[in-house]
Amino acid sequence: MTSKNWLRENTFHHSKFKDIGKLVKKKDQKKIAISLCFPTLNEEKTIAKQIVIMKSELMNRYPLIDEIVVVDSGSTDNTCEVAAAYGASVHAANDILPNLPVFKGKGENLWKALYVTKGDIIIYLDADITNIHHRFAYALLGPLLMYDHIKYVKAFYDRPLAGYDARMRPTGGGRVTELVNRPIFSLFYPELTQILQPLSGEYAACRELLEAIPFPIGYGIETSMLLDIYDKWGMSVMAQVDLDKRVHRNQDTKALGKMSFVIMKTFLRRIENYGLVKIRQNVYNELIQYQKVPGHYQKDTFHIEGHERPPIIDIPEYRQKFNIPDSDRQ
Amino acid sequence: MDEILKKLPFFVDQIQAIKETVISNIVLIGQMPGPTFGEDTRADLFLERLSCAQVDECGKDQLKNAIGVIKGKAGKKNDPIFLTAHLDTIYSADDVDHNYIVRKNAITGPGILDNTLSIGILASLPTIFRHLKLSFSSDIVLAGVTQSIGRGNLRGIRHLLNTWARPIRSGIIMEGQVLGHFNYYSEGIIRGEISCDILATGHFFTQKYKPNAILILNEVINELLTISLPQRPRCRIIIGRITGGHKHGDIAVQARLGFEIQSDSDEMVKEVYGKMEDIVEGIGQEHSVALKLETITVQNAASLKYGHPLVKCTVAVMKSLGLKPVSESSESELSVFLSRNIPAVVLGMTTGKNAHLANATMRINPMFTGIAQIIGLLLAIDKGLCDDK
Repeated sequence: MTSKNWLRENTFHHSKFKDIGKLVKKKDQKKIAISLCFPTLNEEKTIAKQIVIMKSELMNRYPLIDEIVVVDSGSTDNTCEVAAAYGASVHAANDILPNLPVFKGKGENLWKALYVTKGDIIIYLDADITNIHHRFAYALLGPLLMYDHIKYVKAFYDRPLAGYDARMRPTGGGRVTELVNRPIFSLFYPELTQILQPLSGEYAACRELLEAIPFPIGYGIETSMLLDIYDKWGMSVMAQVDLDKRVHRNQDTKALGKMSFVIMKTFLRRIENYGLVKIRQNVYNELIQYQKVPGHYQKDTFHIEGHERPPIIDIPEYRQKFNIPDSDRQ
Repeated sequence: MDEILKKLPFFVDQIQAIKETVISNIVLIGQMPGPTFGEDTRADLFLERLSCAQVDECGKDQLKNAIGVIKGKAGKKNDPIFLTAHLDTIYSADDVDHNYIVRKNAITGPGILDNTLSIGILASLPTIFRHLKLSFSSDIVLAGVTQSIGRGNLRGIRHLLNTWARPIRSGIIMEGQVLGHFNYYSEGIIRGEISCDILATGHFFTQKYKPNAILILNEVINELLTISLPQRPRCRIIIGRITGGHKHGDIAVQARLGFEIQSDSDEMVKEVYGKMEDIVEGIGQEHSVALKLETITVQNAASLKYGHPLVKCTVAVMKSLGLKPVSESSESELSVFLSRNIPAVVLGMTTGKNAHLANATMRINPMFTGIAQIIGLLLAIDKGLCDDK
C-alpha cells in the first residue's frame, strides 16, 4: 500500500464494527485472548463507569474481552477500591516487577500492564473519559480482528474528517498535537501526519508489537509508540478509527507545556537514534517556566528525566512468564 | 404465594450478580437525552437493548412508545401483563451535561430518579428473567412510554392502552423512587397555567401606569387563597411554579403561574377550577390585561380497593423483602390504567436524593430489592393470584 492510500484505506468509522457478534466470531477463529487496560491515577469519578460498561457490553453480553485490568500509579482517592468493586483486576504499578527501579507515569503503567495481562491483543483506554461507550473498545479491536495486516489501531474523535464524501471537517487535534506533534512529524515524518490525533490515549495493538518497543514512562509514550512502530514495521500495520466524540478533562497551558517538553525530548532522542540528526550539545532535563507574582517574575523549574523502559521482551521475568525462549528475542 | 415470597430474598442476590448489565443500561440510556416530545433516540436505544436481549417482538407505535413483548407459554389464553416506565425526563440535550457519574454505591446524573433508572431496569428485565431462569404463562409487555410528564399529559400511555387490541390483565408502573412506596389510587387532578400578558390586549398604557404582570399574578394568588377547600372530599391547590419579567428594573410585561388542583373527587376538582376561571376573568377585566387560564393535564380520580388481590399481593411481596409499604396518591400512568378498569400499581425502585436536580443521585444497592419486588409481583400476577374474581 502506498502512503497516498493509507488515509483512505486505513481510516475507519466505529460504525463499521458495530456488529460485535461478528468480531467475537473472528476472535474465536483466531483463538486469541484480549485484554483491556486502564492506567489510573486518582480517577474515582470516572473509572467505575468505564469498567461497568465494558464488562457489561463486551464481557457479559458479548464475550469479546477476556479481562479488564487497572494499573494504578498510587491513587490517593478510592480509584482502586471502586475498580475492584466492579470486577476489574487491580494492580499497583509499584508491585509489578518489583525488582526493577521504581518510576511513576502513564507509560510505566502501560509497560507494566504487558506483564500482568494475558491477552494477545491489548487495548489501552485512558480512565478519564466521561462519555465512555463500549465502541471505544470494540471499534479499536475492529481493524485488528478483521484485517490480518493491521497490528496497531489508534483512536481519533470529535470533529475529524467525515470521510471522502466531499464534506470536510477540521481534524480536531488538541493544542499539543497541532503545535508540537504535527509540526515535528511534518519536518521529519510527513507520513505520520496522517495519524489525525497522535496523542489520543486510546489504542489497541498486538502484543508482539508492544513487547518489542521501548516505553517512555511519561507523556512521551504515544509519540514514541508511533515512531517506533513506524520505524520497525511501517505505516501499513497501523490504522485509525473515528470514535465520534470524546469528553475528558481539559488541561491548563503550563501542564501542556510539560507534556510538550517530554514529547519533544522523546522525539529528539528518537531522531538521533535513527541517525536522522546529530545533536552536538547536551539536551537538558529541566523545563523552565515563569509566572508573574507580585513584584517579580518567578522561575519554576521542573526536572523531567525522560526515563524509558526497554522493550519488555528483554526483561527475563517477562520471557519466563510468557515462555519466550531467549533465542526468540527480536 | 408463599412459594414466590420465599424465593425473593435469593433473587436480590442473584440480580446483584449481574449488576453491570443493569447499571450499564441505566447509564447508556440516561446519557441519551429524552425530553418530553423528544424521546425518539432514547426509545431507539431502549428497543435496541430489548432486541439484543432477544425479546420476541420489538417496535414503536404511532406515538413512538417503545414496546417489547416477551411471549408467554399460554399464548392468547392469558391476557398480557404490562410493565411500564415513562421514557421522558425534564431535561433537553442543551440543559445539562448528561454524562453520568458511577460510584461504588451511587449513580449521579440528570433525570436518573425520574425516570431513567426505571427505563434501564425495564431494558434489563429480559436478561434478569433469563439469569433467574424465569418464564411466564402470560405475555409480558415492556413499554417505555413517551409524552408522559408536563405538557405530555400522559399521552403516550393513553394512546398505548387505547390502541391495544386485547384485554390487559394488570399493569405495574415503575418509578425511580421511593423504594417502599407504592400507589394504587390516584387523585383527580387538573394541572394548568395562568398567563398574564400586558401587551396582548392592544390596550395603551403609559409607562407610568403600565400594570405589572407579576403583581397581577400576585393578585390572582391572593384570590386563589380565599377559595374555601373542604376537608372531605380532600382538596388542595398547589402553586408549583412561577416565572416572569426580564430585568430587575423593568416592569414585567409577561408572567406565568403553574398550578394543580388535586382532590379525591373529580367533581370537587371541577368546582374549584370553575372558581378559578371566575377569578381569572374578573382580574383580567379589572386591569384590562390578557389573563388566560389554560389546562395542561386532566387526570381522573381512580382507585383500587385496599382489599384488591393486586394490592394485597403487592404488600405481601414488599414485606417479604423487608420493606415497610407506604401508600400514597400517584400522578403517574396509574390513573390511565385504573380509569380503563385495568388493575395496576406503581412501585418505587430505589432511594436517592435531589430527584429533580441535575445532580440527582440514586443508590445502587436498594435497587436490587426494587427489582426483586417487581419480579415477585409479576410472578404473582402470572399465577393468577392478583386476579379479582
